[in-house]
Amino acid sequence: MSQFLVKEGVKNQIRKGEKLVTTHCCYCGMQCGMHIRVDEKNNKVVGVEPRYDWVLTRGKMCPKGVTAYQTIDHPDRIKTPLIKKNGKFVEATWDEALDLIESKYKGIQETYGKDAVGVYGGVSMTNEKCYLVGKYARVGLGTRYIDYNGRYCMSSAAGGFNKTLGMDRGSTLPWTELEHTDTFFMAGSNTAECHPTSIQWFWKAKDKGAKLIVADPRETATARVADVHLDLLPGTDAALANGIMHLLIKYDYVDHAYVQERCNNFEELKEMTAKFTPEYTSKLTGVAAEKIIKAAHIFGKSPRSVVMFARGAEQQTSGVDNVSLYTSMALLRGQIGKFASGVATFTGQGNGQGGREHGQKADALPGYRKIANPKDVEYISGIWGIKPEEMPKEGVSAYEMFHLMQNKTIRALHVICSNPVVSSPNINYVQDSLEKLDFLVVNDFFMSETAELADVVLPATTWAEDEGTTTNIEGRVIRIRKVVEPLGESKPDWEIMKLIADRLGKGKFFEYNEPREIFDELRLASKGGKADYYGVTYEKIDEQDGVFWPAPAEDHKGTPSVFQERFATEDGKANLAVCDFRGPSEVQSKEYPLWLTTGRVVFHYLSGNQTRRVDFLMEQCPEPFVEMHPELASQYQVENGERVKLSTPRGDMIAPVKITKAIRKDTMFVPYHWGKKLAVNQLTSPALDPFSRMPEFKVCAVKLEKLTK
Amino acid sequence: MNKIMYLEFERCIGCRACQAACRECGDHDAKERNYVEYVDFTESRQTFPMLCMQCKDPACARVCPANAIQITDEGVVLSAMEEKCIGCRNCTFGCPFGIPKFDFEKNKMYKCDMCYDRTRHDIAPMCASVCPSDAIRFIDFDEMQQLRRKRTQMNLVEGKKPQEGNKWDYVPEFFGVYTDQS
Ligand code: SF4
Ligand code: SF4
Ligand code: SF4
Repeated sequence: MSQFLVKEGVKNQIRKGEKLVTTHCCYCGMQCGMHIRVDEKNNKVVGVEPRYDWVLTRGKMCPKGVTAYQTIDHPDRIKTPLIKKNGKFVEATWDEALDLIESKYKGIQETYGKDAVGVYGGVSMTNEKCYLVGKYARVGLGTRYIDYNGRYCMSSAAGGFNKTLGMDRGSTLPWTELEHTDTFFMAGSNTAECHPTSIQWFWKAKDKGAKLIVADPRETATARVADVHLDLLPGTDAALANGIMHLLIKYDYVDHAYVQERCNNFEELKEMTAKFTPEYTSKLTGVAAEKIIKAAHIFGKSPRSVVMFARGAEQQTSGVDNVSLYTSMALLRGQIGKFASGVATFTGQGNGQGGREHGQKADALPGYRKIANPKDVEYISGIWGIKPEEMPKEGVSAYEMFHLMQNKTIRALHVICSNPVVSSPNINYVQDSLEKLDFLVVNDFFMSETAELADVVLPATTWAEDEGTTTNIEGRVIRIRKVVEPLGESKPDWEIMKLIADRLGKGKFFEYNEPREIFDELRLASKGGKADYYGVTYEKIDEQDGVFWPAPAEDHKGTPSVFQERFATEDGKANLAVCDFRGPSEVQSKEYPLWLTTGRVVFHYLSGNQTRRVDFLMEQCPEPFVEMHPELASQYQVENGERVKLSTPRGDMIAPVKITKAIRKDTMFVPYHWGKKLAVNQLTSPALDPFSRMPEFKVCAVKLEKLTK
Repeated sequence: MNKIMYLEFERCIGCRACQAACRECGDHDAKERNYVEYVDFTESRQTFPMLCMQCKDPACARVCPANAIQITDEGVVLSAMEEKCIGCRNCTFGCPFGIPKFDFEKNKMYKCDMCYDRTRHDIAPMCASVCPSDAIRFIDFDEMQQLRRKRTQMNLVEGKKPQEGNKWDYVPEFFGVYTDQS
């Protein structure tokens, strides 16, 4: 069967001796469609061809997507298992590696109990793998300690959506509708760099006259063309959203019929927002009162608006509040559940949506089920073939797992598809925690900073060497195709988990020959849950350009727009957010007088373990930098390109200055894609949101120092 | 083939996907032929792409003493022919847009050939294909005319003219015509 999918009338360049395989990008949540070029003679990947007919992205890709194929046959690929002996990695056979893992896991679990081995997952992999990580931890290892890097990514969005709407689907509408939207309210999202191909939809809408309101401490590419740029202080989103709602109520932009019929808490919200006058909001956020008023009028008058946010608003100690409040703005305007209107978060990782639905989270089971709910445990135990009593209890969040390594509750850890010594906050502590482990196993296809600390590194495959599904930024389940056979002795993560489970005597729970069998189990496991995949099949994905969950029955086409009639809460009504402004966990002091915020650049992805190995991307952005306003630079007498020192009580770093007026005068920005001495996460704050346990990456008080030459 | 390369500078988000993609084209030897620059990073993040205008009477070809720069029937100005190029670099100085680049290893000029490999089969060039913002488009002549008309109207309606205080909001528009509409 041909693996090249193309609609009638669409032309692609297919060169002699080559074939195309249709798939999606491995990086961000846009999951841009692409075809990968394969040399038919030697079966090597040789390039990329745009997938013009993929409905969401239409052939467009960012530079990461264009160059993604270069990671497949990359000289840095880990091709065999590696075992550390006397501080050095030595190549080993799979049997040797598995023998060692078996004896270590068994030994540690016999002495210290099952929970002494933890699992740390990730969501830059298929649904099949993400699902299996949860099962591997609970059934294969029998441990309660499992969590994943999505905790640093989507957990606040999930928390906020669950609270207000009763269900966490990243977007309430399909993004192909966005060109018909007439106002976007975007908070804490540098979408031009983090989800570049989404820009086509915003610009298309803008061509038709749509308005754009952007809340960001930096003048990003979207803020630059916005009708109002709300240049708020990092960490003050809650105040801003309350302030906007205050005005929506004051000027009677509230859709009263909708609110009455579909929302709870309106009176309480009214009371809470009463004090957030433009003046008070301006004082808290640092945004001029006129701008807040202008934004409220534009947003209030707009018949079809979408409120969108990303990590800027979510990676805070009040991340869940921020999400709930921004979502409430859309609710007050009666927007959710209607055409070209609603609310959406920008999913950071490729499968940040699907990967958070099926049980990689400390408290969750497949289909957004809860481990604390006995009925859910019973159902999933039935699918997995274990007794409900055997199901481990709830664990702890990603960052909190490091505390447990410090106190030796967790003694061994298996990291799958993640690089926590770069992506966690306060990484000096994280590294120390991993070093305290008795035994660390890491699956990866490049030697990440975390893999360097491992006792055993298992060679995983890249996304192009295995098949499966992911769920994109909209909630659309799509297909990833296998393009080539795994390089060297590398194996897909699901196979690695299966092999280890087998060594631990749990092989019968993992009898899969291919990802499709895992997916069929996932469909059953999610059946009846909120994220219901029962009606999603590989064939249906091909037939109808993906399937939006929930798809609760075999003949169900999926649900592109959610909440059209009722919300997923118990009473079917949305819960408007009643949250006061709490402010970030750190305050400026004499010693640390400035604000630091972190984020991405368009050329790199997450911890950079992949993109730092791609020539084109490294030529564009080889190292982190400190972006600052010229006034701040002159105050510290530093010039463009000069190396400066940044420090917080947790760590420091040296990086060159990049001067631009496109940032607040009191805030500096550093991208986080590098490890060790170049890691800004040495400085970031590990304060957690009390509800989602999301760390506050986006705000910390910092000291800037000029280096003496 | 009657398609236009149409550039709208202010749409550009500076992602440089167009450059990454240019490297991917058949005969491009993994070297990009286009440019993306900041207008002035100290002031704003505004960037703009630049590629060959495929001039009808190209300065690069005119100043080439070796007749190394060929123009196809469709009007595409190709890279210098390997066997003819003498490496004098006249073309790089002659082009008013600074388009031709020079390969010092091979002692040979190379430039944007509008992905001739693709466009002659009516498939969009790599840069226009991937550009997430539609700052670079490969469109029909009529569509280009429509877009042009809309812009002129908009400019009139809004009395758009850059002033000292807002000049970063406006960057000049430009478009390259692939073939003649005759
Ligand atoms: S990183 Fe995101 S925007 Fe860029 S090509 Fe991949 S999926 Fe598309
Ligand atoms: S791909 Fe488009 S948006 Fe990106 S730099 Fe090039 S012209 Fe600009
Ligand atoms: S048209 Fe082709 S050769 Fe010219 S800049 Fe674009 S990608 Fe490069």
